[in-house]
Amino acid sequence: MEAALPISAAPDVRGSQPKQVRATAPSVSLPLRFMLTALVALFGAVAWIIANPSILAIYHYHQHVIAATHLVVLGFICTVVMGAMYQLVPVALETKLYSERLAKWQFVIHVIGFVGMVWMFNVWNMKQVGHFGSALALGVGLFVYNLARTLWRVPKWNIVATAITAALVWFSLTIFVGLSIAAAKCAYEATEGLATEEGVKQVVGGLRVVAGVVSRFDAIGAMHAHAHLGVVGFFVMLIVGVAYRLIPMFTLTEVQCKYRAGLSIVLLNIGIAGSVVTILLRSQWKPVFAATVVAGLAIFVWELWAMLRARKRPALDWGLKSFLAAVGMLIPVCILALVLSWPSLPMNQFFGMLENVYGFLGLFGVVTLAILGMLHKILPFLVWFGVYSPHVGRAQLPLTSQMVSERAQAGGLVTYLVGLLIISVAILRESEPGVRLGGLFLLVSLGLFGRNAVKVFSHFRNPQIKPLIAAKPAAV
Amino acid sequence: MNPAVVELDLRAFEPPQPLMKTLEAIVTLPADAMLQIHTRWRPALLYAELEKRGFIGESQEQSDGSCITHIRRA
Repeated sequence: MEAALPISAAPDVRGSQPKQVRATAPSVSLPLRFMLTALVALFGAVAWIIANPSILAIYHYHQHVIAATHLVVLGFICTVVMGAMYQLVPVALETKLYSERLAKWQFVIHVIGFVGMVWMFNVWNMKQVGHFGSALALGVGLFVYNLARTLWRVPKWNIVATAITAALVWFSLTIFVGLSIAAAKCAYEATEGLATEEGVKQVVGGLRVVAGVVSRFDAIGAMHAHAHLGVVGFFVMLIVGVAYRLIPMFTLTEVQCKYRAGLSIVLLNIGIAGSVVTILLRSQWKPVFAATVVAGLAIFVWELWAMLRARKRPALDWGLKSFLAAVGMLIPVCILALVLSWPSLPMNQFFGMLENVYGFLGLFGVVTLAILGMLHKILPFLVWFGVYSPHVGRAQLPLTSQMVSERAQAGGLVTYLVGLLIISVAILRESEPGVRLGGLFLLVSLGLFGRNAVKVFSHFRNPQIKPLIAAKPAAV
Repeated sequence: MNPAVVELDLRAFEPPQPLMKTLEAIVTLPADAMLQIHTRWRPALLYAELEKRGFIGESQEQSDGSCITHIRRA
Protein backbone atom coordinates (compact mmCIF):
# COMPACT_ATOMS: atom_id res chain seq x y z
CA MET A 1 0.00 0.00 0.00
CA GLU A 2 3.02 2.25 0.18
CA ALA A 3 2.57 5.02 -2.31
CA ALA A 4 5.80 6.32 -3.76
CA LEU A 5 4.50 9.24 -5.76
CA PRO A 6 6.23 10.90 -8.69
CA ILE A 7 9.17 13.08 -7.92
CA SER A 8 8.48 16.79 -7.87
CA ALA A 9 10.43 19.92 -7.14
CA ALA A 10 10.92 20.55 -3.44
CA PRO A 11 9.16 23.45 -1.79
CA ASP A 12 11.44 25.84 0.02
CA VAL A 13 10.84 24.83 3.63
CA ARG A 14 13.86 26.53 5.16
CA GLY A 15 13.27 29.58 7.20
CA SER A 16 9.63 29.94 6.27
CA GLN A 17 8.00 27.95 9.10
CA PRO A 18 7.37 28.55 12.76
CA LYS A 19 9.73 26.74 15.09
CA GLN A 20 8.66 23.12 15.33
CA VAL A 21 7.61 21.53 18.61
CA ARG A 22 9.88 18.57 19.23
CA ALA A 23 7.72 16.01 20.93
CA THR A 24 9.70 13.26 22.59
CA ALA A 25 8.52 10.27 24.55
CA PRO A 26 10.33 9.34 27.77
CA SER A 27 12.47 6.22 27.92
CA VAL A 28 10.29 3.11 27.50
CA SER A 29 11.57 1.76 30.83
CA LEU A 30 9.51 4.45 32.61
CA PRO A 31 6.00 3.39 31.48
CA LEU A 32 6.98 -0.28 31.48
CA ARG A 33 7.90 -0.29 35.19
CA PHE A 34 4.46 1.15 36.01
CA MET A 35 2.69 -1.34 33.74
CA LEU A 36 4.50 -4.42 35.06
CA THR A 37 3.82 -3.39 38.68
CA ALA A 38 0.18 -2.82 37.78
CA LEU A 39 -0.17 -6.28 36.23
CA VAL A 40 1.31 -7.87 39.37
CA ALA A 41 -1.27 -5.97 41.45
CA LEU A 42 -4.11 -7.13 39.19
CA PHE A 43 -3.00 -10.76 39.44
CA GLY A 44 -2.80 -10.29 43.22
CA ALA A 45 -6.32 -8.83 43.38
CA VAL A 46 -7.89 -11.66 41.35
CA ALA A 47 -5.98 -14.28 43.36
CA TRP A 48 -7.29 -12.58 46.52
CA ILE A 49 -10.90 -12.83 45.23
CA ILE A 50 -10.40 -16.55 44.58
CA ALA A 51 -8.80 -17.14 47.98
CA ASN A 52 -11.38 -15.04 49.82
CA PRO A 53 -14.57 -14.84 47.68
CA SER A 54 -16.51 -13.23 50.52
CA ILE A 55 -14.87 -9.97 49.35
CA LEU A 56 -17.55 -9.80 46.67
CA ALA A 57 -20.27 -11.86 48.34
CA ILE A 58 -20.77 -9.51 51.31
CA TYR A 59 -21.81 -5.84 51.42
CA HIS A 60 -18.85 -3.68 50.46
CA TYR A 61 -18.51 -1.57 53.62
CA HIS A 62 -16.00 -4.01 55.07
CA GLN A 63 -12.24 -3.75 55.66
CA HIS A 64 -11.26 -6.62 53.33
CA VAL A 65 -13.46 -5.32 50.53
CA ILE A 66 -12.01 -1.84 50.92
CA ALA A 67 -8.46 -3.25 50.97
CA ALA A 68 -9.02 -5.37 47.84
CA THR A 69 -10.74 -2.46 46.08
CA HIS A 70 -7.75 -0.21 46.76
CA LEU A 71 -5.43 -2.92 45.42
CA VAL A 72 -7.38 -2.79 42.16
CA VAL A 73 -7.84 0.98 41.92
CA LEU A 74 -4.46 2.13 43.26
CA GLY A 75 -2.31 -0.93 42.54
CA PHE A 76 -3.60 -1.76 39.09
CA ILE A 77 -5.63 1.03 37.56
CA CYS A 78 -3.81 4.10 38.91
CA THR A 79 -0.40 2.55 38.36
CA VAL A 80 -1.04 1.55 34.76
CA VAL A 81 -2.77 4.85 34.00
CA MET A 82 0.16 6.84 35.41
CA GLY A 83 2.69 4.88 33.32
CA ALA A 84 0.56 5.19 30.20
CA MET A 85 0.06 8.92 30.70
CA TYR A 86 3.77 9.58 31.06
CA GLN A 87 4.18 7.92 27.67
CA LEU A 88 1.05 8.99 25.82
CA VAL A 89 0.49 12.58 26.89
CA PRO A 90 3.74 13.90 25.37
CA VAL A 91 3.23 11.94 22.14
CA ALA A 92 -0.52 12.49 21.77
CA LEU A 93 -0.33 16.18 22.58
CA GLU A 94 2.94 16.82 20.73
CA THR A 95 5.07 17.99 23.60
CA LYS A 96 7.73 16.70 26.01
CA LEU A 97 7.35 15.24 29.52
CA TYR A 98 8.34 17.92 32.03
CA SER A 99 10.56 15.64 34.15
CA GLU A 100 11.36 11.95 33.71
CA ARG A 101 13.39 11.99 36.92
CA LEU A 102 10.40 13.22 38.91
CA ALA A 103 8.32 10.44 37.39
CA LYS A 104 10.85 7.82 38.54
CA TRP A 105 10.71 9.13 42.11
CA GLN A 106 6.93 9.23 41.94
CA PHE A 107 6.89 5.54 41.00
CA VAL A 108 8.80 4.58 44.16
CA ILE A 109 6.60 6.73 46.41
CA HIS A 110 3.43 5.45 44.73
CA VAL A 111 4.36 1.78 45.22
CA ILE A 112 5.24 2.34 48.90
CA GLY A 113 1.99 4.26 49.35
CA PHE A 114 -0.43 1.81 47.77
CA VAL A 115 1.17 -1.34 49.19
CA GLY A 116 1.09 0.18 52.70
CA MET A 117 -2.48 1.41 52.29
CA VAL A 118 -3.80 -1.97 51.13
CA TRP A 119 -2.01 -3.72 53.97
CA MET A 120 -3.30 -1.28 56.59
CA PHE A 121 -6.87 -1.27 55.23
CA ASN A 122 -6.79 -5.05 55.51
CA VAL A 123 -5.88 -4.91 59.22
CA TRP A 124 -8.05 -1.77 59.61
CA ASN A 125 -5.37 0.47 61.08
CA MET A 126 -6.71 3.79 59.88
CA LYS A 127 -3.89 5.83 61.40
CA GLN A 128 -1.37 3.94 59.26
CA VAL A 129 -3.75 4.15 56.28
CA GLY A 130 -3.49 7.90 56.74
CA HIS A 131 0.32 7.77 56.88
CA PHE A 132 0.70 5.58 53.78
CA GLY A 133 -2.10 7.56 52.15
CA SER A 134 -0.08 10.73 52.72
CA ALA A 135 2.88 9.10 50.95
CA LEU A 136 0.59 8.12 48.09
CA ALA A 137 -0.83 11.66 48.01
CA LEU A 138 2.71 13.04 47.77
CA GLY A 139 3.28 10.77 44.76
CA VAL A 140 -0.01 11.86 43.20
CA GLY A 141 1.02 15.48 43.79
CA LEU A 142 4.27 14.87 41.88
CA PHE A 143 2.35 13.09 39.11
CA VAL A 144 -0.20 15.88 38.74
CA TYR A 145 2.52 18.55 38.90
CA ASN A 146 4.61 16.76 36.25
CA LEU A 147 1.65 16.38 33.90
CA ALA A 148 0.35 19.89 34.56
CA ARG A 149 3.77 21.30 33.58
CA THR A 150 3.71 19.02 30.53
CA LEU A 151 0.19 20.17 29.55
CA TRP A 152 1.35 23.77 29.97
CA ARG A 153 3.68 23.21 27.00
CA VAL A 154 1.00 21.80 24.69
CA PRO A 155 1.19 23.84 21.49
CA LYS A 156 -2.40 23.25 20.39
CA TRP A 157 -5.11 22.78 23.00
CA ASN A 158 -7.82 20.26 22.08
CA ILE A 159 -10.55 18.10 23.56
CA VAL A 160 -8.08 15.41 24.67
CA ALA A 161 -6.04 17.93 26.66
CA THR A 162 -9.26 19.25 28.23
CA ALA A 163 -10.34 15.75 29.29
CA ILE A 164 -6.89 14.97 30.74
CA THR A 165 -6.86 18.22 32.68
CA ALA A 166 -10.34 17.55 34.06
CA ALA A 167 -9.31 14.02 35.01
CA LEU A 168 -6.27 15.35 36.91
CA VAL A 169 -8.47 17.78 38.85
CA TRP A 170 -10.93 15.00 39.79
CA PHE A 171 -8.01 12.73 40.71
CA SER A 172 -6.55 15.35 43.06
CA LEU A 173 -9.97 15.82 44.68
CA THR A 174 -10.36 12.04 45.04
CA ILE A 175 -7.11 11.80 46.97
CA PHE A 176 -8.03 14.80 49.16
CA VAL A 177 -11.45 13.34 49.98
CA GLY A 178 -9.93 9.90 50.64
CA LEU A 179 -7.39 11.33 53.06
CA SER A 180 -10.12 13.40 54.72
CA ILE A 181 -12.20 10.26 55.27
CA ALA A 182 -9.17 8.51 56.78
CA ALA A 183 -8.51 11.57 58.95
CA ALA A 184 -12.11 11.55 60.17
CA LYS A 185 -11.64 8.01 61.42
CA CYS A 186 -8.35 8.53 63.24
CA ALA A 187 -7.64 12.20 63.95
CA TYR A 188 -8.57 12.05 67.63
CA GLU A 189 -6.34 9.07 68.22
CA ALA A 190 -3.52 10.65 66.20
CA THR A 191 -3.31 13.73 68.40
CA GLU A 192 -2.37 11.71 71.46
CA GLY A 193 1.36 11.98 72.17
CA LEU A 194 2.15 13.45 68.77
CA ALA A 195 1.25 17.11 69.08
CA THR A 196 4.46 18.19 70.75
CA GLU A 197 6.20 19.90 67.88
CA GLU A 198 4.79 23.07 66.33
CA GLY A 199 4.66 21.63 62.76
CA VAL A 200 3.02 18.42 63.91
CA LYS A 201 0.51 20.42 65.96
CA GLN A 202 -0.51 22.36 62.87
CA VAL A 203 -0.90 19.21 60.77
CA VAL A 204 -2.89 17.47 63.47
CA GLY A 205 -4.97 20.61 63.98
CA GLY A 206 -5.71 20.69 60.25
CA LEU A 207 -6.66 17.01 60.33
CA ARG A 208 -9.04 17.73 63.23
CA VAL A 209 -10.79 20.44 61.20
CA VAL A 210 -11.08 18.15 58.16
CA ALA A 211 -12.26 15.29 60.36
CA GLY A 212 -14.90 17.57 61.88
CA VAL A 213 -16.24 18.48 58.43
CA VAL A 214 -16.21 14.92 57.06
CA SER A 215 -17.84 13.44 60.16
CA ARG A 216 -20.96 15.56 59.44
CA PHE A 217 -21.67 13.25 56.49
CA ASP A 218 -22.56 9.59 56.81
CA ALA A 219 -19.63 7.23 56.28
CA ILE A 220 -21.11 5.25 53.37
CA GLY A 221 -22.18 8.40 51.52
CA ALA A 222 -18.65 9.84 51.87
CA MET A 223 -17.13 6.54 50.68
CA HIS A 224 -19.46 6.40 47.64
CA ALA A 225 -18.71 10.04 46.77
CA HIS A 226 -14.96 9.30 47.01
CA ALA A 227 -15.37 6.21 44.80
CA HIS A 228 -17.36 8.05 42.12
CA LEU A 229 -14.86 10.91 42.07
CA GLY A 230 -12.05 8.47 41.38
CA VAL A 231 -13.71 5.97 39.08
CA VAL A 232 -15.90 8.27 36.99
CA GLY A 233 -13.95 11.51 37.41
CA PHE A 234 -10.48 10.11 36.82
CA PHE A 235 -10.69 6.71 35.13
CA VAL A 236 -13.81 7.07 32.95
CA MET A 237 -12.94 10.65 32.02
CA LEU A 238 -9.51 9.49 30.86
CA ILE A 239 -10.90 6.53 28.93
CA VAL A 240 -13.32 8.82 27.09
CA GLY A 241 -10.76 11.58 26.46
CA VAL A 242 -7.91 9.31 25.38
CA ALA A 243 -10.26 7.28 23.14
CA TYR A 244 -10.75 10.43 21.05
CA ARG A 245 -7.05 10.14 20.22
CA LEU A 246 -6.26 6.41 20.31
CA ILE A 247 -9.29 5.12 18.38
CA PRO A 248 -8.50 7.38 15.38
CA MET A 249 -4.83 6.37 15.65
CA PHE A 250 -5.45 2.62 15.71
CA THR A 251 -8.41 2.40 13.30
CA LEU A 252 -7.36 5.17 10.91
CA THR A 253 -10.32 7.45 11.34
CA GLU A 254 -11.06 10.95 12.63
CA VAL A 255 -13.26 12.48 15.29
CA GLN A 256 -16.43 12.96 13.24
CA CYS A 257 -18.01 15.80 15.21
CA LYS A 258 -15.84 17.91 17.52
CA TYR A 259 -18.94 19.53 19.01
CA ARG A 260 -20.30 16.10 19.99
CA ALA A 261 -16.97 15.05 21.49
CA GLY A 262 -16.76 18.29 23.45
CA LEU A 263 -20.34 17.95 24.68
CA SER A 264 -19.62 14.47 26.03
CA ILE A 265 -16.76 15.85 28.14
CA VAL A 266 -18.81 18.83 29.36
CA LEU A 267 -21.76 16.62 30.40
CA LEU A 268 -19.42 14.18 32.13
CA ASN A 269 -17.88 17.00 34.16
CA ILE A 270 -21.25 18.49 35.14
CA GLY A 271 -22.58 15.03 35.99
CA ILE A 272 -19.57 14.10 38.12
CA ALA A 273 -19.62 17.36 40.08
CA GLY A 274 -23.34 17.06 40.73
CA SER A 275 -23.25 13.33 41.48
CA VAL A 276 -20.50 13.67 44.07
CA VAL A 277 -22.31 16.44 45.94
CA THR A 278 -25.72 14.73 45.79
CA ILE A 279 -24.29 11.35 46.83
CA LEU A 280 -22.51 12.99 49.76
CA LEU A 281 -25.67 14.82 50.85
CA ARG A 282 -27.99 11.88 50.00
CA SER A 283 -29.96 14.39 47.95
CA GLN A 284 -33.07 13.67 45.92
CA TRP A 285 -31.29 15.24 42.92
CA LYS A 286 -29.00 12.20 42.55
CA PRO A 287 -30.86 10.76 39.51
CA VAL A 288 -30.59 14.06 37.63
CA PHE A 289 -26.81 14.08 37.80
CA ALA A 290 -26.55 10.32 37.26
CA ALA A 291 -28.59 10.87 34.08
CA THR A 292 -26.22 13.70 33.09
CA VAL A 293 -23.22 11.35 33.35
CA VAL A 294 -25.14 8.71 31.38
CA ALA A 295 -26.01 11.32 28.73
CA GLY A 296 -22.31 12.24 28.44
CA LEU A 297 -21.37 8.59 28.01
CA ALA A 298 -24.18 8.01 25.49
CA ILE A 299 -22.86 10.90 23.39
CA PHE A 300 -19.35 9.44 23.68
CA VAL A 301 -20.65 6.08 22.39
CA TRP A 302 -22.47 7.90 19.57
CA GLU A 303 -19.23 9.61 18.51
CA LEU A 304 -17.28 6.36 18.89
CA TRP A 305 -19.79 4.63 16.62
CA ALA A 306 -19.47 7.44 14.05
CA MET A 307 -15.66 7.24 14.18
CA LEU A 308 -15.70 3.48 13.70
CA ARG A 309 -18.13 3.70 10.78
CA ALA A 310 -15.74 6.10 9.05
CA ARG A 311 -12.61 4.06 9.75
CA LYS A 312 -10.26 3.15 6.92
CA ARG A 313 -8.95 0.00 8.59
CA PRO A 314 -11.85 -2.47 8.37
CA ALA A 315 -10.45 -5.23 10.61
CA LEU A 316 -10.55 -4.67 14.36
CA ASP A 317 -7.84 -6.47 16.32
CA TRP A 318 -8.46 -8.11 19.69
CA GLY A 319 -7.13 -5.15 21.63
CA LEU A 320 -9.76 -2.92 20.07
CA LYS A 321 -12.45 -5.60 20.46
CA SER A 322 -11.63 -5.78 24.18
CA PHE A 323 -11.86 -2.00 24.44
CA LEU A 324 -15.21 -2.00 22.64
CA ALA A 325 -16.47 -4.81 24.90
CA ALA A 326 -15.58 -2.56 27.86
CA VAL A 327 -17.55 0.27 26.26
CA GLY A 328 -20.46 -2.17 25.84
CA MET A 329 -20.28 -2.90 29.57
CA LEU A 330 -21.24 0.74 30.10
CA ILE A 331 -24.83 -0.28 29.26
CA PRO A 332 -25.49 -2.47 32.34
CA VAL A 333 -23.36 -0.16 34.52
CA CYS A 334 -25.33 2.95 33.44
CA ILE A 335 -28.67 1.17 33.96
CA LEU A 336 -27.54 0.15 37.45
CA ALA A 337 -26.36 3.71 38.16
CA LEU A 338 -29.78 5.12 37.24
CA VAL A 339 -31.61 2.50 39.32
CA LEU A 340 -29.35 2.86 42.37
CA SER A 341 -29.47 6.66 42.27
CA TRP A 342 -33.23 6.58 42.86
CA PRO A 343 -33.75 8.39 46.19
CA SER A 344 -36.63 6.31 47.55
CA LEU A 345 -34.91 3.00 46.91
CA PRO A 346 -35.29 0.64 49.88
CA MET A 347 -31.88 -0.12 51.40
CA ASN A 348 -32.27 -3.87 51.72
CA GLN A 349 -30.00 -6.87 51.11
CA PHE A 350 -30.90 -7.15 47.41
CA PHE A 351 -30.12 -3.52 46.58
CA GLY A 352 -26.98 -3.70 48.75
CA MET A 353 -25.70 -6.56 46.62
CA LEU A 354 -26.82 -4.72 43.47
CA GLU A 355 -24.43 -1.95 44.57
CA ASN A 356 -21.69 -4.60 44.71
CA VAL A 357 -22.50 -5.68 41.13
CA TYR A 358 -22.46 -2.01 40.04
CA GLY A 359 -19.05 -1.43 41.62
CA PHE A 360 -17.63 -4.72 40.35
CA LEU A 361 -18.83 -4.20 36.77
CA GLY A 362 -17.68 -0.57 36.83
CA LEU A 363 -14.15 -1.51 37.94
CA PHE A 364 -13.63 -4.86 36.23
CA GLY A 365 -16.17 -4.68 33.39
CA VAL A 366 -15.51 -1.16 32.15
CA VAL A 367 -12.26 0.29 33.47
CA THR A 368 -10.04 -2.81 33.78
CA LEU A 369 -11.22 -4.36 30.51
CA ALA A 370 -10.74 -1.05 28.65
CA ILE A 371 -7.21 -0.80 30.05
CA LEU A 372 -6.37 -4.42 29.18
CA GLY A 373 -7.63 -3.77 25.64
CA MET A 374 -5.41 -0.73 25.28
CA LEU A 375 -2.47 -2.59 26.85
CA HIS A 376 -2.77 -5.14 24.01
CA LYS A 377 -1.84 -2.24 21.73
CA ILE A 378 0.49 -0.20 23.94
CA LEU A 379 2.76 -2.93 25.41
CA PRO A 380 3.92 -4.34 22.03
CA PHE A 381 4.45 -0.81 20.74
CA LEU A 382 6.58 0.22 23.73
CA VAL A 383 8.71 -2.92 23.56
CA TRP A 384 8.99 -2.66 19.79
CA PHE A 385 10.10 0.97 20.08
CA GLY A 386 12.58 0.17 22.85
CA VAL A 387 14.13 -2.82 21.06
CA TYR A 388 13.84 -2.06 17.38
CA SER A 389 13.79 1.71 16.80
CA PRO A 390 17.63 1.91 16.45
CA HIS A 391 17.47 -0.79 13.74
CA VAL A 392 14.65 0.58 11.60
CA GLY A 393 15.76 0.99 8.02
CA ARG A 394 18.89 -1.05 8.71
CA ALA A 395 17.37 -4.52 9.20
CA GLN A 396 14.17 -6.53 8.72
CA LEU A 397 12.06 -6.18 11.84
CA PRO A 398 8.85 -7.79 13.09
CA LEU A 399 5.58 -5.86 13.10
CA THR A 400 3.90 -5.22 16.46
CA SER A 401 1.06 -7.53 15.37
CA GLN A 402 3.59 -10.35 14.97
CA MET A 403 4.76 -9.96 18.58
CA VAL A 404 1.50 -11.25 20.12
CA SER A 405 -0.67 -14.34 19.90
CA GLU A 406 -4.13 -13.45 18.59
CA ARG A 407 -5.50 -16.76 19.86
CA ALA A 408 -4.41 -15.91 23.39
CA GLN A 409 -5.98 -12.46 23.05
CA ALA A 410 -9.28 -13.92 21.79
CA GLY A 411 -9.32 -16.61 24.48
CA GLY A 412 -8.49 -14.00 27.09
CA LEU A 413 -11.43 -11.79 26.14
CA VAL A 414 -13.95 -14.66 26.08
CA THR A 415 -12.87 -16.09 29.46
CA TYR A 416 -12.84 -12.60 30.95
CA LEU A 417 -16.44 -11.93 29.85
CA VAL A 418 -17.55 -15.34 31.16
CA GLY A 419 -15.84 -14.54 34.48
CA LEU A 420 -17.64 -11.18 34.69
CA LEU A 421 -21.01 -12.84 34.08
CA ILE A 422 -20.47 -15.63 36.63
CA ILE A 423 -19.25 -13.24 39.33
CA SER A 424 -22.12 -10.79 38.74
CA VAL A 425 -24.72 -13.55 39.17
CA ALA A 426 -22.81 -14.99 42.16
CA ILE A 427 -22.76 -11.59 43.90
CA LEU A 428 -26.54 -11.28 43.58
CA ARG A 429 -26.93 -14.83 44.94
CA GLU A 430 -24.30 -14.12 47.64
CA SER A 431 -22.59 -17.29 46.48
CA GLU A 432 -18.95 -17.61 47.51
CA PRO A 433 -18.33 -20.72 45.33
CA GLY A 434 -19.81 -18.80 42.39
CA VAL A 435 -17.49 -15.84 43.00
CA ARG A 436 -14.55 -18.26 43.25
CA LEU A 437 -15.51 -19.94 39.96
CA GLY A 438 -15.83 -16.58 38.20
CA GLY A 439 -12.52 -15.53 39.73
CA LEU A 440 -10.88 -18.60 38.22
CA PHE A 441 -12.13 -17.56 34.78
CA LEU A 442 -10.67 -14.09 35.34
CA LEU A 443 -7.39 -15.69 36.41
CA VAL A 444 -7.27 -17.84 33.25
CA SER A 445 -7.93 -14.71 31.21
CA LEU A 446 -5.12 -12.84 32.98
CA GLY A 447 -2.89 -15.89 32.49
CA LEU A 448 -3.46 -15.63 28.74
CA PHE A 449 -2.74 -11.91 28.94
CA GLY A 450 0.42 -12.67 30.93
CA ARG A 451 1.50 -15.25 28.35
CA ASN A 452 1.20 -12.64 25.65
CA ALA A 453 3.06 -10.10 27.80
CA VAL A 454 5.92 -12.60 28.29
CA LYS A 455 5.99 -13.19 24.52
CA VAL A 456 6.20 -9.43 23.95
CA PHE A 457 8.90 -8.88 26.60
CA SER A 458 10.94 -11.81 25.21
CA HIS A 459 11.95 -9.45 22.38
CA PHE A 460 14.21 -7.64 24.86
CA ARG A 461 16.22 -10.86 25.32
CA ASN A 462 15.82 -12.33 21.83
CA PRO A 463 15.30 -9.56 19.30
CA GLN A 464 14.17 -10.83 15.91
CA ILE A 465 16.44 -8.84 13.63
CA LYS A 466 17.17 -10.14 10.15
CA PRO A 467 19.51 -8.59 7.61
CA LEU A 468 17.92 -6.39 4.96
CA ILE A 469 17.38 -7.81 1.53
CA ALA A 470 19.52 -5.73 -0.84
CA ALA A 471 17.43 -2.67 -1.59
CA LYS A 472 17.29 -0.78 -4.83
CA PRO A 473 18.05 2.94 -4.58
CA ALA A 474 14.96 5.13 -4.79
CA ALA A 475 14.25 6.39 -8.27
CA VAL A 476 15.06 10.04 -8.87
CA MET B 1 17.86 24.79 -7.75
CA ASN B 2 15.44 23.00 -5.43
CA PRO B 3 16.28 19.34 -4.76
CA ALA B 4 14.11 16.54 -6.13
CA VAL B 5 11.44 15.22 -3.78
CA VAL B 6 10.53 11.62 -3.08
CA GLU B 7 6.97 11.51 -1.77
CA LEU B 8 5.43 8.93 0.54
CA ASP B 9 1.79 8.88 1.54
CA LEU B 10 1.65 7.08 4.91
CA ARG B 11 -1.87 7.98 5.97
CA ALA B 12 -3.11 4.42 5.51
CA PHE B 13 -0.77 2.95 8.12
CA GLU B 14 -1.15 2.65 11.87
CA PRO B 15 1.79 3.23 14.26
CA PRO B 16 4.61 2.30 14.15
CA GLN B 17 4.53 1.62 10.40
CA PRO B 18 4.80 5.26 9.27
CA LEU B 19 7.99 5.51 11.36
CA MET B 20 9.35 2.26 9.93
CA LYS B 21 8.59 3.17 6.32
CA THR B 22 10.09 6.64 6.69
CA LEU B 23 13.32 5.38 8.23
CA GLU B 24 13.54 2.67 5.58
CA ALA B 25 13.04 5.26 2.85
CA ILE B 26 15.86 7.54 4.00
CA VAL B 27 18.34 4.66 3.67
CA THR B 28 17.91 4.70 -0.10
CA LEU B 29 17.29 8.43 -0.44
CA PRO B 30 19.67 9.92 -3.04
CA ALA B 31 22.16 12.38 -1.59
CA ASP B 32 20.62 15.43 -3.23
CA ALA B 33 16.96 14.51 -2.71
CA MET B 34 14.39 15.41 -0.09
CA LEU B 35 11.79 13.01 1.33
CA GLN B 36 8.26 14.31 1.80
CA ILE B 37 5.94 12.20 3.95
CA HIS B 38 2.22 12.68 4.44
CA THR B 39 0.96 11.31 7.79
CA ARG B 40 -2.33 11.49 9.67
CA TRP B 41 -0.63 13.27 12.59
CA ARG B 42 2.59 15.05 13.43
CA PRO B 43 5.15 12.22 13.59
CA ALA B 44 6.13 12.89 17.20
CA LEU B 45 8.62 10.02 17.59
CA LEU B 46 10.27 10.48 14.22
CA TYR B 47 12.36 13.62 14.76
CA ALA B 48 14.76 12.14 17.32
CA GLU B 49 15.28 9.04 15.15
CA LEU B 50 16.00 11.22 12.13
CA GLU B 51 18.58 13.22 14.06
CA LYS B 52 20.36 10.03 15.12
CA ARG B 53 20.69 9.20 11.41
CA GLY B 54 21.91 12.64 10.34
CA PHE B 55 18.60 13.94 8.97
CA ILE B 56 16.21 16.66 10.01
CA GLY B 57 12.46 16.86 9.53
CA GLU B 58 10.19 19.87 9.44
CA SER B 59 6.45 19.43 9.62
CA GLN B 60 3.53 21.50 8.44
CA GLU B 61 0.04 20.72 9.65
CA GLN B 62 -2.61 20.65 6.95
CA SER B 63 -6.13 22.02 7.18
CA ASP B 64 -7.56 18.47 7.49
CA GLY B 65 -5.37 17.76 10.55
CA SER B 66 -2.88 15.63 8.63
CA CYS B 67 0.78 16.55 8.46
CA ILE B 68 3.36 16.92 5.70
CA THR B 69 6.97 16.52 6.83
CA HIS B 70 9.97 17.41 4.70
CA ILE B 71 13.07 15.39 5.52
CA ARG B 72 16.56 16.25 4.36
CA ARG B 73 20.13 15.56 5.37
CA ALA B 74 21.33 17.75 8.19
